[in-house]
Amino acid sequence: MIVADQKPFHEIKGFVEAHQNILVAGCGTCVTVCLSGGAAEARLLASGLRIAFQRENQNKTIEEDTVLRQCDEEFVLPLLQRVKEENIDAVITLACGVGVNFLADRLGHIPVFPGVNTTFYGAVMEPGLWAEMCSGCGQCITHLTGGICPIARCSKRLFNGPCGGSERGRCEVDPQNTPCVWQLILDRMKQLGRLHDLQNFIPAKDWRPALDGGVRHTVRERIYRLDYKNP
Amino acid sequence: MDNRSVILPGDPLPNCSAACPVHTDTRGYAEAISEGNYEKALDLLLQANPFPSVCGRICHHPCEKECRRKEVDAPVSLRMLKRFVVENTREYRRARRQRIEPTQGKKVAIIGSGPAGLTVAHDLALLGYHTIVFEQDSQLGGMLAHAIPRYRLPLHALREDIDDILAMGVETRTACRVGVDISLEEIRKKHDAVVLAIGLSESVTLPIPGSESEGVFPGITFLWDVANGHPPPLGDRVLIIGGGNVAVDAARTARRLGVGQVFMACLETPEEMPAWQWEIQEAREEGIEILNSWGPKAVLSRGGKVAGMELKRCTRVFDDHGRFAPQYDEARTMTLDVDQVIMTIGQRADLSCVKETELAVERGRLMCDSHTLSTSEPGVFACGEVLTGPGSAIHAIASGHRAAQAVHHYLQTGERLVLPREDVPSLGLLPQRVASLARKMTRREAALLDPRERIGDFSEIESPFNEREALEEARRCLACATGARLESSQACAGCLTCARVCPFGVATVDRTAAMPAEECQACGLCAAECPAAGIALKRFATNQMKQTLGEILAPARAVKIWTPFLVAYCCLYETTSRKYLKPQSLEEIEGSGILRIMVPCVGRLSSLDLVEPFEMGADRVVVIACKEEGCLYMGSEELLGRRVAHAQKFLKEIGLEKASLQFRQTRGSAEASWPAIWKEVQHETAPESEKESLK
Ligand SMILES: Cc1cc2nc3c(=O)[nH]c(=O)nc-3n(C[C@H](O)[C@H](O)[C@H](O)COP(=O)(O)OP(=O)(O)OC[C@H]3O[C@@H](n4cnc5c(N)ncnc54)[C@H](O)[C@@H]3O)c2cc1C
Repeated sequence: MIVADQKPFHEIKGFVEAHQNILVAGCGTCVTVCLSGGAAEARLLASGLRIAFQRENQNKTIEEDTVLRQCDEEFVLPLLQRVKEENIDAVITLACGVGVNFLADRLGHIPVFPGVNTTFYGAVMEPGLWAEMCSGCGQCITHLTGGICPIARCSKRLFNGPCGGSERGRCEVDPQNTPCVWQLILDRMKQLGRLHDLQNFIPAKDWRPALDGGVRHTVRERIYRLDYKNP
Repeated sequence: MDNRSVILPGDPLPNCSAACPVHTDTRGYAEAISEGNYEKALDLLLQANPFPSVCGRICHHPCEKECRRKEVDAPVSLRMLKRFVVENTREYRRARRQRIEPTQGKKVAIIGSGPAGLTVAHDLALLGYHTIVFEQDSQLGGMLAHAIPRYRLPLHALREDIDDILAMGVETRTACRVGVDISLEEIRKKHDAVVLAIGLSESVTLPIPGSESEGVFPGITFLWDVANGHPPPLGDRVLIIGGGNVAVDAARTARRLGVGQVFMACLETPEEMPAWQWEIQEAREEGIEILNSWGPKAVLSRGGKVAGMELKRCTRVFDDHGRFAPQYDEARTMTLDVDQVIMTIGQRADLSCVKETELAVERGRLMCDSHTLSTSEPGVFACGEVLTGPGSAIHAIASGHRAAQAVHHYLQTGERLVLPREDVPSLGLLPQRVASLARKMTRREAALLDPRERIGDFSEIESPFNEREALEEARRCLACATGARLESSQACAGCLTCARVCPFGVATVDRTAAMPAEECQACGLCAAECPAAGIALKRFATNQMKQTLGEILAPARAVKIWTPFLVAYCCLYETTSRKYLKPQSLEEIEGSGILRIMVPCVGRLSSLDLVEPFEMGADRVVVIACKEEGCLYMGSEELLGRRVAHAQKFLKEIGLEKASLQFRQTRGSAEASWPAIWKEVQHETAPESEKESLK
């Protein structure tokens, strides 16, 4: 799941100072789950903005709306409709960066502002705590490392064992909260009876499938451009 | 969103309502009491039952027996709550009385003015029929007026209920014995339908040697005479034969007439006795001696007068199929010297009024179909105990409701209505795993006079709940099935937050969230935390608050308001009177600059609820929770504390001062501590500009 944190209030408010009819758009999937951009947060932020502008005697209209996902045309259509019909002149989206782009692509001259900082792909370690687990590098190597990713979970993204900052199994960058991923990999490979595999050198990674190779796309031929839909 | 707890057709009923023969909205009236809306509680009571005063006193309260709170600690004292409502809404009740004009152009005669007959009259009058009740006695009320002793049911309580019914325009002919003063046939000719609600007004007699002696009284006659102010002269030792409620009433009545030694002899063992256990207990406290497993053999007499009673050992009352089939050990007997014997071994109908009519009677019973309530003659119906056999007032009332339906149908269509068998789905037991997590709260019992004082006269022995007691007891209601509900599965992201915060382990997520109504304890924590704002609570929605605030703070009005304007969310469970539960008038709000919002546990307030008042113009918000560790819901205090902190941080980012949103706890009672809290929060560190406008 994509994890995001809400931006500081004053930053968000700053984006829309010059605008009049503002829509706060929540997203009903990842950011709802991580409590940063669902319907409840959208309403709260909208209310906060109304309070803040009222206190400055600025008369603005601030609406809110939340859709299931801001990364699918069908779901964002109602938002686009509202923007048009209600003369919205700025949108704050609480979706991850995908939502910001997806809306911006479709809203022409209407600015779209990010309400959250999209941080990582993570999992719930315990209720209320999320940790990064994947970096979306485009070429997974976790089959070599017992299923544990040294890119997402090593501060230095080392491929062939720990650095000198690994102390008693913890990472020197943040020993309290972060285990050394190479300790985890070592333990795991032992458990799997594959410790010897770690003697094989992992060659330098081809970073092209990651961002370095340009904008990434994925096509699923099974449903892509169905002829009968586009005669 | 009002009437949140209204039961919709098809909904399983809370056990209390399902167990009540008239399905009183028990949960609804408990909720209304806890909200200080005693009038609404009365409306709910009267919707189901024209005899709430009577039932508040003497109902055998099957609702309590089934109350789901028994899995937590003990049932809610529902009967006493009902009594509290009627005793605290007298004026309102008089004012809501309404004469109903008969618009149907049809007349219905009802024979018998017991609870069954009067209920029929009430229901049919409501439907626009002209109704006339014939009663042989000079007083209306049947057994309620004549048999149930005054120390349990004072006449004025009965009067309150009857006055309501009469006020609708129901006509009565008292001291008119059908079959003697007027024939049933004549009544049939003059009316479009007739309902026989003649009850069981005769005591069953025992054909044993000596039963004709002077000093043997049938129980009903005895109670009837006492109720009407003609008690028979009694000696110092009296024996009651029987182990049912009528026997207990007769025994306790004799004791109040000054009899020094009152005995009850019954076939049953203490556990088998048909009388209610609490009645038996109270009788024992009053010095009545119960001789269990003894059956009557002969009345001993001297000069035609009762001198004693010979009893024989009863070895078994019921056969293997649970049927009444007493067996005796004739060899084991005992004699008891007594001056009078009162027989209370059962009742039967006095069917003399149907003699010489076409109505079929078989083996002393009026022939009547229990599904259509029809007798053998078209247009003649029966209900109440003459149909059902001995029961309770509330069963007789339920039977009256059914008869009214049957009569209405007959008068509209000319046909018999087959009333469906009563089969109401209920919520079932509260699972132990949930019950064990709910906070225990001691049940408040009715306070009874000291037994020595009780037997002095026929004054009522039970004291009503005072307001504080009633409010406390009403809060014990688990408000079954009025909790959280996922508004639409679309909104749910399956984030598990509800499951993680639910203190009762009730909320689960399987693709989408589920809060089974029959388990949810209505604490509201899941709704407050749901990031999709997708969980609704059936009780307490803040939209009412928004509306009120909107009205008050509308720009045109704002000038009149004292600032700083305070919105106070208060835990309604802390009030001991309805002083602060009553809705505030606009003048009061404007005058004080305080808007109170009573919340059934402030733990259910969301961050938005805490912030939104500022948007609507409030200057301060205070959340006043219950006393420390006083919360009904485990975990609520902690979560609320964190939520308030979150909202405070947010407000600070917006630029509001720190004191804007505050969290306080009640000390002592709400009435004692809240005003000081309000003043403090309202004035504390108020900027100079605001202070000037304060009084
Ligand atoms: C001693 C005693 C104690 C009780 N205690 C309780 C209790 O604590 N709680 C509880 O719930 N229930 C109690 N009950 C039961 C309750 O009183 C009855 O269930 C209820 O009264 C039955 O109602 P009904 O309308 O069917 O008949 P009744 O109340 O018996 O009414 C029948 C009426 O018809 C009249 N009538 C009969 N024949 C004629 C005629 N020919 N012409 C004109 N009028 C006629 C009678 O005078 C009577 O007024 C008690 C009953 C008794 C006897």
